[in-house]
Amino acid sequence: MSNHPGVCNYCGTGCGHLLKVEGGAVRGVFPSPEHPVGKGRLCVRGWHIHELLTNGDRIARPLLREAGRTREVGWDEALASVAGRLADYIGDQIGFWASPRASNEDTYALVRLARAVFRCPNIGLLSDAGHQASARVLLDGAGWPAMTGALADIRPADFILVVGTDLSKQNPIIASEIHFAARGGTHVLVLSSRTTQMARLATTHLRPKPGSLATVLKAMARILIDENRQDADFIARYGRGFDAFRMSLAGFDLAAVEAQTGLSLESLRDATRRLAAARRALAFTAAGVAGPDRDTAALLFDLFLAAGKIGREGCGVNPVTGISNMLGASDMGAVPDMLPGARRLPDEGAAAELGAAWKSGLDARPGRRIDDLLRDEGSGLKALVVVDHDDEINLEADAVRNLDYVVYLGAYANPFAGLAHAVLPTTSYGEGDGTYTSAERRIQLNRRKTEPLAEARPAWRVFADLAAKRGQDWGYRAASEVFADIARTVPSYSAVTYDKLDRNFGGLQWPCDAARPQGTPRLLAEDAGRMTFVPFAAESGRPGLSDDFPMALVAGTSTYYWHQNNIMRKTFIPRREYNALLLLYPQGLVEIHPDDAARLGLRDKRPARIVSAKGSMTVAARVTDDVRPGMAYAPYFIGAMIPGFLKPHAVDIERGEDAAIPVRIEKV
Amino acid sequence: MHILPKSGLPRLVEALGEQHELYGPILHEVSGDALFEKLADPAALRLDAPIPYIPPKAAVFPHFEEILHYAYDRDSKKVDIARTDLVRPKALIGVRSCDLTGLACLDRFYLGQEFVDEVYRDHRRRTFIVANTCLGPFPQCFCVCTDSGPYAVEGYDLNLTDLGDHYLVESGSEKGAALAARLGLAPAGADAAGRRDAAVNASIASFDPAARENKAWISRAVNRLTTGFVKNETWEYIGHQCFECGACSYVCPTCSCFNIEDVTPAEGPTGRIRTWDSCSFEGYSRMAGEHNPRRPIEDRRNKRFFCKLSYSQSKKYLRPGCVGCGRCARVCPGDIGLPNVVQYIRRETTGR
Amino acid sequence: MAESPLNAIVTVPAVAEITEIKDEIEEVRTFYFSFDHPELERSFRARSGQFIMCTVFGAGEFAVSLPFSPENDRRHLSVRRVGKVTDGLHALRPGDKIGIRGPFGNGFPFDAIKGRNMVVIAGGIGLIPLRSTLVHALQHRADFGRIILLYGARSSRDLMYLSQIEDWRKTEGFEAFLTIDRAEPGWAGEVGFVHTLIEKAKVPVENTVAFVCGPPIMFNANIKELTGRGLKDEFIFSTLERHMKCGIGKCQHCAIGRTLVCTDGPVYTYKQLKTLGEQI
Repeated sequence: MSNHPGVCNYCGTGCGHLLKVEGGAVRGVFPSPEHPVGKGRLCVRGWHIHELLTNGDRIARPLLREAGRTREVGWDEALASVAGRLADYIGDQIGFWASPRASNEDTYALVRLARAVFRCPNIGLLSDAGHQASARVLLDGAGWPAMTGALADIRPADFILVVGTDLSKQNPIIASEIHFAARGGTHVLVLSSRTTQMARLATTHLRPKPGSLATVLKAMARILIDENRQDADFIARYGRGFDAFRMSLAGFDLAAVEAQTGLSLESLRDATRRLAAARRALAFTAAGVAGPDRDTAALLFDLFLAAGKIGREGCGVNPVTGISNMLGASDMGAVPDMLPGARRLPDEGAAAELGAAWKSGLDARPGRRIDDLLRDEGSGLKALVVVDHDDEINLEADAVRNLDYVVYLGAYANPFAGLAHAVLPTTSYGEGDGTYTSAERRIQLNRRKTEPLAEARPAWRVFADLAAKRGQDWGYRAASEVFADIARTVPSYSAVTYDKLDRNFGGLQWPCDAARPQGTPRLLAEDAGRMTFVPFAAESGRPGLSDDFPMALVAGTSTYYWHQNNIMRKTFIPRREYNALLLLYPQGLVEIHPDDAARLGLRDKRPARIVSAKGSMTVAARVTDDVRPGMAYAPYFIGAMIPGFLKPHAVDIERGEDAAIPVRIEKV
Repeated sequence: MHILPKSGLPRLVEALGEQHELYGPILHEVSGDALFEKLADPAALRLDAPIPYIPPKAAVFPHFEEILHYAYDRDSKKVDIARTDLVRPKALIGVRSCDLTGLACLDRFYLGQEFVDEVYRDHRRRTFIVANTCLGPFPQCFCVCTDSGPYAVEGYDLNLTDLGDHYLVESGSEKGAALAARLGLAPAGADAAGRRDAAVNASIASFDPAARENKAWISRAVNRLTTGFVKNETWEYIGHQCFECGACSYVCPTCSCFNIEDVTPAEGPTGRIRTWDSCSFEGYSRMAGEHNPRRPIEDRRNKRFFCKLSYSQSKKYLRPGCVGCGRCARVCPGDIGLPNVVQYIRRETTGR
Repeated sequence: MAESPLNAIVTVPAVAEITEIKDEIEEVRTFYFSFDHPELERSFRARSGQFIMCTVFGAGEFAVSLPFSPENDRRHLSVRRVGKVTDGLHALRPGDKIGIRGPFGNGFPFDAIKGRNMVVIAGGIGLIPLRSTLVHALQHRADFGRIILLYGARSSRDLMYLSQIEDWRKTEGFEAFLTIDRAEPGWAGEVGFVHTLIEKAKVPVENTVAFVCGPPIMFNANIKELTGRGLKDEFIFSTLERHMKCGIGKCQHCAIGRTLVCTDGPVYTYKQLKTLGEQI
């Protein structure tokens, strides 16, 4: 057969596709109608993944850069050089930056290399701040760090709350399911300050002011309790900490909500009543740069727990990962303060277990996030190992440039590789076996479909070879053997094997263990036990607008979800579509409402200066009523906008699309 | 008309395999998906497989294809440029009437205008087509409304109709008749045509009533589209639901738009790659260094439906550009496949 | 099976050598070329107004209108740098090879307009696709009434083919009026927009055809002026540029309404353009 099933490698939805392979080369892709997630659909990115997989802009051979000169070398020399150079540093001086697009096997091996070989706890994941905010709330509250519901529950739902993001661009097939649900009668409520396509497809769109999502959710929780609509029986059986939750809302003033959020109390009452009355209710948020901050995530969880809409058939709180294996990479321990399996450090038991499985000691201290280390000049970070990093969104290029030693592993040529002292070619998706875990905890096996290019090797093998150079023999000869170690050490993966994944088209959803050998589509309280209301800050952050900076700038991705630039640029049609926008706004853009534009004398496509307390930049105005008056929206991915203006605001941007930067906008 | 016992199908396939690369429907061993693909193992052919997601057009107009390759050495100024090697003639086995009609549209478009598309022509050279009467429609099917099924009347070399333990074989060309003769197929009895018609009528009767009811509405939609009477709000309503994935064009048996890029692989000569494209993409008509001359999504959607249903396009195909296969409805994340669009145009006039 | 028109190179580009490169104005260069194959070098024919698909090896292919006359004129392309492929062309040197498919498109109806007055109105690089027709007409001077060029650009540095225009002036009865948007020291020509030249040149309406090409604002102003003076829509010609991939009416990238620029165009009368519906 020339068509081979696999899982799409772009976003965290986990759609199944069939790759057409002829003469050893990828020659097309189409959606698998029988696949349980995509059910025969792909988005524009998925429909063109073969263009990426045929791109020739690859890293084909190991490269070493010495004294400013780059030369191709053989693997032996490259591995000896990298292992030797990294050994010059003590653990805390190295950082390991994993990729949310790499397979579980690759990331697990990287984590093992960091903790067990180089004894380094600084393991991070590119652009995972938003994911971690939601994942930790769910770990604290429900005991598993991922969405509790199932995508199969979307169409039968009575009520769906979509908070913030434009899922139609970030995870289009999930948005499609929600769209079908709405057409079938589900009440879909979108809470978003911008009018996105997701908002247009909703039954109801509420447009709160930027920065007020937490306040909106607090108000809904308060209304729920005031009207005595919480699910008291459910809370009594499965909830913990409800009284504290109620107390923390006691001082909350409903009277101020309309002014703070721009929404009528009546609309919030209506939304709350719909949530309470629904038998099957789901919440969706982004779990990436467009996702909610920790307090907003906590409030959403608590609201759903109080309404009895989590841990039940057809219910759940569902953060959706924007990148294919963001969840899997976190499961594998690419998080500085956790060991594989989301075991938070310190955890002596987990450390001992892992040490025994790995037959080695390991560094089980909590480490620091890589971007924190890069931003902190006194961090002592000297060396960095980077896997398949996206450029453009890397805000820290200058800091990386100042490091002593950088190793880059990747399949595709990437400007980041130009900063590296050693560049190691890895297989592209499609050239090796590997598992990927989608947003709904779905572990899917992707089999090798084409031979590796030139000298490219699977990353897990490179890490095992580096370990061998440092005297540890892991004995991995195939990806399946790495996975066997994963199953041994990550409890929620313990009953998964390659054989089983081969037999289960569409994969298995974790937890998949001895008690649940066919996996777990959704969290059910009767199995999982009690859940805990997650605390949140009493005061919600406000943008802090002033006369000098009267407008709230949101820097986000949701409508222009094309920021996976390095790989998008290596396709034809998605690249062309990305460029179609930049043709109109080549210097970047800021969206403002027509009323503001009229007041400020700004015209569409004409230059406008954005000024914040930290700097300014000039871009083109995009005049549109997709944004609220008083608000501005800048897609943060446009190259020229990053170093000039957005970098000093990196911490704000990481708080998600509801984080507003106070600015003023001037005519140029 | 001849009779081919079901047990004789492998002989037919084997005979075709002598001169042709074989293509036909299979069921994927892992995913269970119905596919129309090159048969690595002729025994895998499943004439009873459901309608494949990607139409047989992919065999003669591939999703992704190197049409030529070149290498230019700037030092010696030497250019090596050549058409990429062509495959053997193809036998497409088990083509449904809708998809056969789609091939007829592509033939008229690619081969019948001022210029001949040489790439398509080379794929189509000496193609042998074995059609297969569609005896059980799928929920999305509406070929009965678009005059393209479930029984093929032209465009095939051989046409099979499953009549229980055997196929009724009809020849549509000299080479089809020659093959039937070579295989020594027994002539069909006098009642064969009657039994075929009964099977076809039973198939038509089993279509979803909505599909049959839509027949008049499709011609009315053609009318309204051609005369520009469809309201802008209707296009806007449709446009808001479009996810701009391109899938409707890709799975359409008659969509013929393509993109061309020159791609230099990590190793080897540059290939000129021709891939499927869709007029619903924003960047579809963009010009280097210029503003995009096209308008918003609702206009681009409108474009595709215009291409499927307007008179002026129909002139190129000598029939409407829609063959009623329903694939666009199955593949669309926005639920705006062509039958729904016809519904919305209908709702606009009738209010329901 | 059917065949394409015999004289066009449809699928595999013919290799040509760049023999000379001339800088015209900023970002615009002229590339003189000759085909490697002697028979093709002898037989290649294109009508005024047709275009070719030019391959820059390794970068890709782009559509470009032919600026040279069908007869007795060196084969060349004048190309502005606008993207990846044209950047690649500008990086080439004499002796480098390019690929050529075509010629494609309808071209200007040269024979049908014989005996008339001809006015060529161009803005900036809009003169490139009109050069062929103008030179061809000058080569057949006796077949036409007045031949008038009205040519404008933002500044004198943005005017194409200046020395050639001086050569053309040697043809008896050729009238050329040049204008720039703002006065410059040393500029002896007109100042102001091109359409103001229509009055200055006393462009006749009777028995006249106009060829207009340039940016949209310039185009519209001239159309208004010409039609306002009574020139009929069907006697005004223009040529469209569109994103093209195949050149032979198959890929559909250049579709405007019901027309394909590559095969129905690129030359249209203003009467046709008005009916295309979409923005031009």
